[in-house]
Amino acid sequence: MKESEMECKLVPSVCSYCGTGCGILFEVINGKIVSTLPMKTHPVNEGKLCIKGWNLHEHVNSFMRLKQPLVKTFGRFIKTDWDEAIQLTADRFREIIEKHGPDSIGVLVSAKITNEENYLAQKFARAVIGTNNVDHCARL
Amino acid sequence: MNNEVKTWLEDGTIDIFLGYKEVDHHPLPHCFTKERLDEVEDLMLSPARYSLEKIATHLAEEDPDIKIGMLARDCNGRALNVLYLWNQLNPDNVRTVNVNCCPSRLKEHGDCSYLEPEIVGAYKKQVGVDNNMRLEDMEVYGETERLDRWMYEFQKCIKCYGCRNICPVCFCKECSLEHDELVGTGPLLPDMPVFHLVRAVHMAGRCIDCGLCEAACPMDIPLRLLYQKVSQIVMDLFDYETGTSAEQPPFSILGDKVTLEPKPIEFAKTDSL
Repeated sequence: MKESEMECKLVPSVCSYCGTGCGILFEVINGKIVSTLPMKTHPVNEGKLCIKGWNLHEHVNSFMRLKQPLVKTFGRFIKTDWDEAIQLTADRFREIIEKHGPDSIGVLVSAKITNEENYLAQKFARAVIGTNNVDHCARL
Repeated sequence: MNNEVKTWLEDGTIDIFLGYKEVDHHPLPHCFTKERLDEVEDLMLSPARYSLEKIATHLAEEDPDIKIGMLARDCNGRALNVLYLWNQLNPDNVRTVNVNCCPSRLKEHGDCSYLEPEIVGAYKKQVGVDNNMRLEDMEVYGETERLDRWMYEFQKCIKCYGCRNICPVCFCKECSLEHDELVGTGPLLPDMPVFHLVRAVHMAGRCIDCGLCEAACPMDIPLRLLYQKVSQIVMDLFDYETGTSAEQPPFSILGDKVTLEPKPIEFAKTDSL
């Protein structure tokens, strides 16, 4: 008998790279995504993917990925905690809005975050900052 | 089938079973384990075909001693044979439940995604290569015409690497298709026809004609036909049938001796594509 159990899951999802919405399948072994597969029965992509879709798992496991906020101080990025980073950003935003108006700020959201987070981001831009300058990298 | 798998999981014959389960109306590959034994009730055959043996190699990479059970159609079985020969899986650690396969020239009935040949458009028939063509139909065209038709197919390539990624017998850590001095990853179009021919040559003695690459190709390049040709050359030259022969393939770089002798040269058919 084995002492350590192998955990293997195949998790269906939707590709986050563009608005097409291809069905994908993540192969997760011991909590790590090891590969991305196209979903064969998905009506959108019918078992096919582009090169970005095939490599979706790469950015999850990338060593370049930021895991905590950085603040640029005297030209260098210094690691900090979330409270400080958010406070600092809020202060700077307020300063800029007071000086140049809300339309001096634009919000660029990402395909790598969820739909709900994207919704929140545009809500933040419109309701809190007061600008319609919202865009997304997957706006086809 | 379900009871057999259940018994295997219970008595420790296997640690994990790779089969299919319906999730949100999609038949998806699923790993069945002893911890979630009641899931085995949902084990099913799937019309859609995934490379279960590729998942098995990923599992074996994590834990070489893991005992794996899996559903096996004929193509899965052939892929497993190749993976055993190339030391990617240990045959002692793999048990299969053989199930009905896709129809082919050998089999009339099957339950597979490859069942319905895709409809090929008139333009593609005129200038390209019909995906449903047989190897011998291809010989009707002259050499120049054949090359032109293949070049038409190759120039459609969007270099998604899907054919390589989905291939059950592609397991190399370093791939020629990503080697800067051979093909290089960046530019589109890919180097023509080098990109496809490098892959074709590497498929010699490996391709088990499962057709997953062609099914995954967004541009409908008739890859299966291309690799069938390569396999036929291997058959003619070395009398080696990939997937069923029990010896190392003729192009094996593992081990220290050549395992296969070429057939006498006068019988060899080496005409180009």
